[in-house]
Amino acid sequence: MVNKRVPDWLNSSLWSSPQPPPSPPPPSPPPLSAVAISDPPLLIPPPPAIARPSEPPPSSTSSSPYAHAPKGENRDPLTSSYANNTSVYCTDDDEDDGSPSYSAPSNGGDSGAAAPPPPAAQDVSRQAQILQELSRKVINMVELRKLASQGLPDGAGIRATVWKLLLGYLPTDRFLWPSELAKKRSQYKQFKEELLMNPSEITRRMEKSSLENHELEAGSPGFMSRSEISHGEHPLSLGKSSVWNQFFQETEIKEQIDRDVMRTHPDIHFFSGDSTFAKSNQEALKNILNLFAKLNPGIRYVQGMNELLAPLFYMFKNDPDEENAASAEADTFFCFVELMSGFRDNFVQQLDNSVVGIRATISRLSHLLKEHDEELWRHLEMTTKVNPQFYAFRWITLLLTQEFNFADSLFIWDTLLSDPDGPQETLLRVCCAMLVIVRKRLLAGDFTSNLKLLQNYPSTNISHILYVANKLRAH
Amino acid sequence: MVLVLALGDLHIPHRAPDLPAKFKSMLVPGKIQHVICTGNLCIKEVHDYLKTLCPDLHITRGEYDDDARYPDTKTLTIGQFKLGICHGHQVIPWGDLDSLAMLQRQLDVDILVTGHSHQFTAYKHEAGVVINPGSATGAFSSITYDVNPSFVLMDIDGLRVVVYVYELIDGEVKVDKIDFKKTTN
Repeated sequence: MVNKRVPDWLNSSLWSSPQPPPSPPPPSPPPLSAVAISDPPLLIPPPPAIARPSEPPPSSTSSSPYAHAPKGENRDPLTSSYANNTSVYCTDDDEDDGSPSYSAPSNGGDSGAAAPPPPAAQDVSRQAQILQELSRKVINMVELRKLASQGLPDGAGIRATVWKLLLGYLPTDRFLWPSELAKKRSQYKQFKEELLMNPSEITRRMEKSSLENHELEAGSPGFMSRSEISHGEHPLSLGKSSVWNQFFQETEIKEQIDRDVMRTHPDIHFFSGDSTFAKSNQEALKNILNLFAKLNPGIRYVQGMNELLAPLFYMFKNDPDEENAASAEADTFFCFVELMSGFRDNFVQQLDNSVVGIRATISRLSHLLKEHDEELWRHLEMTTKVNPQFYAFRWITLLLTQEFNFADSLFIWDTLLSDPDGPQETLLRVCCAMLVIVRKRLLAGDFTSNLKLLQNYPSTNISHILYVANKLRAH
Repeated sequence: MVLVLALGDLHIPHRAPDLPAKFKSMLVPGKIQHVICTGNLCIKEVHDYLKTLCPDLHITRGEYDDDARYPDTKTLTIGQFKLGICHGHQVIPWGDLDSLAMLQRQLDVDILVTGHSHQFTAYKHEAGVVINPGSATGAFSSITYDVNPSFVLMDIDGLRVVVYVYELIDGEVKVDKIDFKKTTN
């Protein structure tokens, strides 16, 4: 009989019991942000959301993270990257996000309230490795992808540059960077001028030559002569090709984009609030989305695109390099286009039921789950009848930005963007991993509790999820 | 880029049943930010219709208006321009440009919108500009022959105003424009 049970490595107590530090286990698992107080290289005990067996973990298991080496090469970097991640938790107070110095000293970060862990040796070396890779004359994308899939450090604008490379915005040959960047940035400026002008300005430019302009204060009194309008362009025109008509038709989209941008990440100062900084960021987001809608009449703007745009813009705007930060809008636009090219089918309503649409993707996720964990699949879909569309729709279309906090989703995006399988495939594996990790709770739950759990996914150790996702790859 | 519709002297229902169909098809809600009406609507239904075009409606009293509560004159500021409205039957001689200029100086506005003569005029003098959008229905007037339905749409953009004149001549809508700007605030 084909063994369709949950694989052993998944069933090990490793994943389901809290890992105590060498000192006696704390009475209740500490919150993630206080994790920094314990020693860094240890695996952080997962929060109580993950079910644990009743037997208290013997001290021997505490050594097991190191004895166990199921997938050797991924273990250490993930632990160290998680240690890195804790520094993210420390420093990434949402209130801090307004300042561009966010990305600066976060590695081994000092600005957290709790005593931050000293950077693990592997941590610093990984950053050094990545920096070294980035400083080559011609960047080896395979190497970079491998390094990036284990998570990127937050400092030195590394993530911004690596994402630009992964999305194909920057060419691999370093020498070409300045010229490419200059070209793209000026192209963006041109797009903006051409497409985001309001009709008054357009008509003004159209008739620069034949302008009979009266000045109020000057000249002698007299009747003002009427002049012809050019091209039949007037504000009430109902003609299809009229600039004015097109402008008013796009007002609906503009208003939709306006509303969504206002609602993006209301808890992060970078995106919302009354400061001029937040307002200018919102303006930039609106410009990018409006431009995208204009240049892609087939898909226009769909709610959710703002969520995909936010992390990109955030990373690029917080680049410590001044020039890059100043042109963040242009860079983000092109990277957004690139990102969307892989995922646009999810947003097109007509494609919903087709082979490439969102429904097909969700059923692929279903199949993946069935392949790896038939018991859970059966329980979810047959017994409790939780249609994957109820939870997976948001997971997939928004690339998990809504399921985790902002810092975590950046971490996930590192993996999504760098995996050579491609973001779509990787995303499905990560979603499957998310399901498998909470399997105990799901198996014990009914429709309501399962749906509630999956729609408000409990906060988890991200490296854990990514590790499991990686394991799902081999099968 | 603010669009302001100026019209008046409709005389509905006494002298005209309704706006011309071609005008009505162009005047759709959602495009115009302000509506200025010089007066002589005359009934509440017309007021309600104008209200659907745009919630920001300013009307002054014409001599045949049913509603006696409209003011005689009104001033408002849109962007960098001060606009004044007055029906014009109060200014004697009717349609006299110097007297209107006097009224404009009194109200201290850059653009004065008046009606009563049922004929489109745009006149510039030292104190500003006087615009008469004419009669939107082409209603009969005892002082003007051959009234063509007309109204005015102003596009106020910073210090520049483009006045689009919509006139119904022989059943066709003709659109012209007048461009002017002011140099200081």
